[in-house]
Amino acid sequence: MSALFRIAWRNLLRGWRRSAVVLASIVVGLTACFGILAWTVGLGHNGIDLAVRTHLAHLAIHARGYHADSSTDRRIPGDGAAVLSAVEREGLGAAAPRLVGDGLVQTARRNLSAVIVGVDAARESRVSSVPDSLVEGAYLDAAAHRWASRLPPIVVGEEMARRLGAEVGDKLVLRVPGDAGAGAFRVRGIYRSGSSAFDRSFVYVTLADAQTLFALGNAVTEIALLLSDAADAPQVQKRLRGLLAAEPPLEVLRWDERQPRLAQMIELMDQFSWVFYAVVFAAMAFGIANALLMSVYERIREFGLLRSMGLRGSRILLLVLVESFLLTGLGTGIGLGLAVPLVAWLGEVGIGMGWFSQALGEYGFSDRIYPELRPGDFPEPIGMAAATALLAGLWPALRAARLRPAEALRHV
Amino acid sequence: MSEAGAIVLEAREVSKVYVSGTVRTRALDGVSLRVSSGERVALSGPSGSGKTTLLNLLGTLDRASSGRILLAGQDVGRLGEAELADLRLARLGFVFQAYNLVPVLTALENVELVLLLQGVRPAERRRRAELALDDLGLGELLHTRPGEMSGGQQQRVAVARAIVSEPEIVLADEPTANLDSKTAASLLDLMQQLNEERGVTFLFSTHDPRVMERALRVIRLLDGRIESDERRAP
Ligand SMILES: Nc1ncnc2c1ncn2[C@@H]1O[C@H](COP(=O)(O)OP(=O)(O)OP(=O)(O)O)[C@@H](O)[C@H]1O
Ligand SMILES: [Mg+2]
Repeated sequence: MSALFRIAWRNLLRGWRRSAVVLASIVVGLTACFGILAWTVGLGHNGIDLAVRTHLAHLAIHARGYHADSSTDRRIPGDGAAVLSAVEREGLGAAAPRLVGDGLVQTARRNLSAVIVGVDAARESRVSSVPDSLVEGAYLDAAAHRWASRLPPIVVGEEMARRLGAEVGDKLVLRVPGDAGAGAFRVRGIYRSGSSAFDRSFVYVTLADAQTLFALGNAVTEIALLLSDAADAPQVQKRLRGLLAAEPPLEVLRWDERQPRLAQMIELMDQFSWVFYAVVFAAMAFGIANALLMSVYERIREFGLLRSMGLRGSRILLLVLVESFLLTGLGTGIGLGLAVPLVAWLGEVGIGMGWFSQALGEYGFSDRIYPELRPGDFPEPIGMAAATALLAGLWPALRAARLRPAEALRHV
Repeated sequence: MSEAGAIVLEAREVSKVYVSGTVRTRALDGVSLRVSSGERVALSGPSGSGKTTLLNLLGTLDRASSGRILLAGQDVGRLGEAELADLRLARLGFVFQAYNLVPVLTALENVELVLLLQGVRPAERRRRAELALDDLGLGELLHTRPGEMSGGQQQRVAVARAIVSEPEIVLADEPTANLDSKTAASLLDLMQQLNEERGVTFLFSTHDPRVMERALRVIRLLDGRIESDERRAP
């Protein structure tokens, strides 16, 4: 077997030009595979991150039944103070109360539906990136009394401002369904979260103003919780459920329970990447098979010689397969050696999506993707490379093994 | 190696018909012969007379259309491809007209390959291969690849490769055809010496009279039939 390896290896070296071309194609194909996969995973995480950082948070506490039917009728009383203090006492993460309800934003010319979020500005900035994402004006900070307007402040997304034709300082009317009425607000700031879909619908007012608007007294609908490590979510969820058992019936849900589709997105993209792999590896298989066939054809006499020396046909088969595996293995090694640092580097600096970013923004992705690979991403392409080596090598190997010795020796 | 005088190789009424498309060529027509251990036989005849065909059949590299071939008493027609390979490995040595060596292996590795296939241990393998090459005056070329050797040197390495496993017979198909007369003569000296001193059995084909002179027995082929089979005094 070691002699087969030696012969196979030296044959690859002898035909180094051809080997190099095949190697290059494997390296490029594999790097492309890993690149696309890493980008896809990065894209998925990007979408999740954005959703988590803007509004989902890692965990959310609601009145029981809120997830199934998100109505302002299901609320947490007393500004959620009891829950907040429990969370903060246990040091489980940053928490912020919210009152979330549907409504309309109106100007003299336009009506747009919106998600109205009442927030505690100081707390909100610890669980959400929106307060830090202002492109114009200011947030709903505690210095609201310095607000030189009779009207309460509102912060809207850039996309909504654009659609309304509104600027900082303009007046907007919020209208909510039911008995509650409407209220006039003045645009205090405009934010850009990175997701135009989000920026189009989420507007922020102070918690007190929202409570007045929705006529909810001192109730909130949600307490959002951001953890320092997303992976802790299941444990913290468990602890919270224990802690809050004494409170009025509440539900504690993780982001991936509230938005399972978002969580499934990465899986979906993983599956899509299989299609890409298949195309790349099929192309690769043709390249390898072609190179090996040429190499086999040039060595027909040599195979005849080896047979005359007593090498069985099955050994010849093995010899060519070993060449295929060496070539593919080497290509895979080099491909990994290139792809992993490349992805790591791109994962640091990110890839600007240029004019794609607008389209991506529509789907809730930000304009910079940070590719990443997970340990579980490696076995599949490597397995496929091995399968490719086998499939691509089999035909040339069979050709070589089936040569009749006398005929092979007659070959010139 | 068999005891001197024992029959190593036997052909009984062997015929070979090549069929390519509608053309049938009767390359051998009822050939019978016996080669005993220790013999030095030349197979002569004009081009196309069937020398290569006969050597291929005797060497189990091809199958006869009819008749039987016996190698050390065993009917090779009954054996499968893998068994034939094992048989060649154990009992036969080959020297062809050219391209006798695996191009990517050095002289030493080429010679060692046979022993390796036979399952000889590495140290023993190495010792025997070096010895075989040294004996043939190739001590300088151990680590040289065929591409860097002259034609005569390649043929000598091929002879070393053919005899290193101590086969019962070495089948050589026009081993000197690609060599100049001086180099050819020295290769023939070598084979003669191996035959005389070590009793290596040789069956070589040629249409060169100078080569025939070196044989102790000359079998003449014409149109696939044995025309004459003569022993000569040494
Ligand atoms: N594979 C084959 N297919 C068809 N015909 C063949 C084949 N091999 C040999 N022949 C024919 O069989 C006959 C004998 O050929 P062979 O090669 O045995 O002769 P040879 O004596 O070795 O000739 P040379 O001295 O030229 O090497 C020739 O007519 C040849 O053309
Ligand atoms: Mg011939």
